[in-house]
Amino acid sequence: MTAAELDPLIHAPARLRIVATLAALPDGDALSFTRLQDMLGLTPGNLITHLRKLEDAGYLSTEKTGHGVASRTSVALTHHGRTALDAYTAALRDLLAGL
Amino acid sequence: MSGRFDTFGPPPAEPDPWEAATETETADEDGELDPREAASLFEQTTRQAARQFDIQPPLLMFAAAVTVLVAYGAVWLSVRDQHPYSGPSGTALAVLYGTLAVWIVLVTTVLRRALSGRSSRQRLLEGIVFGAIWICVYVFQGALHHTDPDHAIAYGVYPAVAPLIIVGAAVAGYEAAREKRAHAGFAIAVVILGALASFAGPADVWGVTGVGFCILLLIAGVAQLSRRHARA
Repeated sequence: MTAAELDPLIHAPARLRIVATLAALPDGDALSFTRLQDMLGLTPGNLITHLRKLEDAGYLSTEKTGHGVASRTSVALTHHGRTALDAYTAALRDLLAGL
Repeated sequence: MSGRFDTFGPPPAEPDPWEAATETETADEDGELDPREAASLFEQTTRQAARQFDIQPPLLMFAAAVTVLVAYGAVWLSVRDQHPYSGPSGTALAVLYGTLAVWIVLVTTVLRRALSGRSSRQRLLEGIVFGAIWICVYVFQGALHHTDPDHAIAYGVYPAVAPLIIVGAAVAGYEAAREKRAHAGFAIAVVILGALASFAGPADVWGVTGVGFCILLLIAGVAQLSRRHARA
């Protein structure tokens, strides 16, 4: 196995940190966009673009609550995303074992 | 409303950053990521996130151990020479409730930090279930008040061990269902402690339970610290 075979959607520093952070939550929990941004120290624009890529792949879901200035967006790892992360970490372990 | 009064109103709410960001900024592109760097980054991020989301940090376990020792110890000191048993003194109860109040403030602070920005429909249901269990523990004590004229059970054995046995059993089942063996093991140890301590009688049950529960909490706190150090 080579590094090129690792899931490219997860194998990027910012997205790996996003997925790892969301995976640390219990199943079914969601995290607000604001707290996720605080924890990762990314700019809103940078974070949102990475989130959209992961959302498009079905790795995470977003939910908006409230209206207007009271609106908040929450992000959660989907079952598909958790499975993809498990596969990624397993592949990473195999890769490191062969080095 | 005039602008003069607006000065005293709450600050205007900030718009959702998700909404604000979409139209103004673009993402930085990620560089190459070596597998070793990826593994290290994943471990580090997971560890940091787990620490920030932790609702039972070791410090809280050690604080709980002190709280239990002070609260149960105060009651035990006030009842240890009572023959027949008449119940804890007002001072002992004041120490008990004062210690519990400090403990509740501490737990609320930790939970607020750990749960900030988090949402869970399941947590609301869990809160309702455990809240109902706690209420029933004390409703049952109210029933004992009328059927236990010397108060040895209603204000002695029962309040000392019933929360440990009843709530501990509920927690053990909950943690076992989540396959959290360490948490389930701790909860079962608390249930066993409560059951065995009840043999000490209405006065000494406070001392036995206080010391035993304190030791269990210290062991749990040390075990948590050890696991953290092992992962670091």
